[in-house]
Amino acid sequence: MRSSRARVAHAFLPVFLVSALTAGVLPKIDLPKDSPVTVVSADFGDSNEMARGGAMLLDLHAALSLRNSSARRIRGITLLVMAQEVTPGGKGSVTVTSLDVGPQETFPVRVDLRLLRPLQASGAAPVQIGLDGILFDDLSFFGPDKLSSRRTLTLSEFEARRDRKYLKTLLAEGGSTKLQQAIVESLAHQADRPAYDVQVVRGGRATNFELEKQVQFAFLKLPDSPIELTDGMARISGNEARAPRLEVKNRSERPIRYLEVGWILQDRNGREFLAGSVPAELQLGPGQKSQILENSTLKFPQRGGQPLAIEGMTGFVSSVEYADGSVWIPSSADLATPQLQRVASPSDEEQRLVQIYRKRGIQGLIAELNKF
Amino acid sequence: MSHPNEIQLALFAGGDLGLWDRWQVGRHVSRCSGCQSEVAAFGAASEQVREAVPDLPKDLNWNRLAEEMTGNIRVGLAAGEAISRFDRPMAGVRPARLGWNAVLVIACATVVFVAAFWTSLPHEQAQHLNAALQKIFSGQTGRHAAVSQDDVMLEASSSSIQVKENGRTMMLTHPRSDGVTVSISMRGSAGVRYVDADTGQVTTNKVYYAEQ
Repeated sequence: MRSSRARVAHAFLPVFLVSALTAGVLPKIDLPKDSPVTVVSADFGDSNEMARGGAMLLDLHAALSLRNSSARRIRGITLLVMAQEVTPGGKGSVTVTSLDVGPQETFPVRVDLRLLRPLQASGAAPVQIGLDGILFDDLSFFGPDKLSSRRTLTLSEFEARRDRKYLKTLLAEGGSTKLQQAIVESLAHQADRPAYDVQVVRGGRATNFELEKQVQFAFLKLPDSPIELTDGMARISGNEARAPRLEVKNRSERPIRYLEVGWILQDRNGREFLAGSVPAELQLGPGQKSQILENSTLKFPQRGGQPLAIEGMTGFVSSVEYADGSVWIPSSADLATPQLQRVASPSDEEQRLVQIYRKRGIQGLIAELNKF
Repeated sequence: MSHPNEIQLALFAGGDLGLWDRWQVGRHVSRCSGCQSEVAAFGAASEQVREAVPDLPKDLNWNRLAEEMTGNIRVGLAAGEAISRFDRPMAGVRPARLGWNAVLVIACATVVFVAAFWTSLPHEQAQHLNAALQKIFSGQTGRHAAVSQDDVMLEASSSSIQVKENGRTMMLTHPRSDGVTVSISMRGSAGVRYVDADTGQVTTNKVYYAEQ
């Protein structure tokens, strides 16, 4: 009798162990009851949790399959990823843009997450995945919008429309040859664009081994920008740039509630790269001026070779949101400015279309452009 | 007067005290039965010595005997000193040798432990520890780091983005992909955008440290 009990216990032990282990790993997926998307399946593959030193390392690989249960086409979605126990002030998001998901169609979203948390963490699910927002093809939005996803997805959609229109115009005017030429140029720019690892620290300087100096911004003027950058400076120290201060003026006839300034840095060798953006939420009436202050620090850690030494800065208006929710983005002509062309990132849609060209060739790209 | 000591009583019994002391001690002894018996005992001992004198050698040189006795005492003292010197180095040197060995063993064990601890420590925790040590060092040398490394920090590279806080880390990773684009917002977010090779979808992972 005892031996048969032991055999049963041994048989079920792996099941208990697996369930006990995975219970601590699996995220809680929490979508609103009236969500326009539903979870069809969730595959957590080889997610696991293991002890490393004095901490637990959680490796989460979630492949979610979501269904569009609304009657509209989905253009973009943002999922909010929270691990409050690990980073009380921090959170993450996974955004999929340039989508074209019709009603009842399914689409995948991957969440690959790694958490380093203390050993004595509670038994609750360490990660929560929720919905932050969905943008539809009519630019309507659903979701709590805690991460300003409406703005992010809307800007991405406007950029996608701009780039599709530009490429369609090229196709119409110069045929596949001109389209191919533009895509090859885009590929070349992406390959040439310098890439650096970046750290952002809230507050003052991360180190103080080098003397700090105040450097004046140069501005790249985009003719039809509703914002004029009138003055600006930031503090530079070696490979660190911090505390940008910008003065802006609304030169449009509409009130503005949000703007973003792209921040280009130049090193000692004259190389330029897009370091980041300085966003600001403000109430700026027509003709009004305002000041933007940020107290964060950007640091470019050395990864072999010569350390980066920042020498100069250039700012340009990269996006504006009017009070009525409509947005302004640089035009294709603005992006063709040599300085912007060198440093600016391609839009989400441009990146996707270039990938289609690489995989399916020019005919595949033309077919994709003709879809909508 | 308190009781005279043994020396005074012995000298009194032998008649060797001075006039004043003899008068004082004699006055006390006449009234104290205990001291009387002591004096009587000393007197009896003197009597015995006197009776033993005929048994002593006739040519006994008391001075020489005294010198020999003094010499023996000195030899004894010197021997005692030598023994104590011999014992002292034995007690001192051996623990000292043991002490250096122990220090060496402890130092080696510490090096092995620190190396094992450091190599098995996760990178994020190692950085946190390093930052704490640097903070202590900068405090001692008078340097001032305006930002504590314990503060929330975002990191973005072509392979991952992460938010760090007090040695804890949340990292969003992505599959290997061409054309990864890193974006930073000074309001407290870092993002990595990539095109998923399997699905062709454009995915942007972001981490935030600010309430947005």
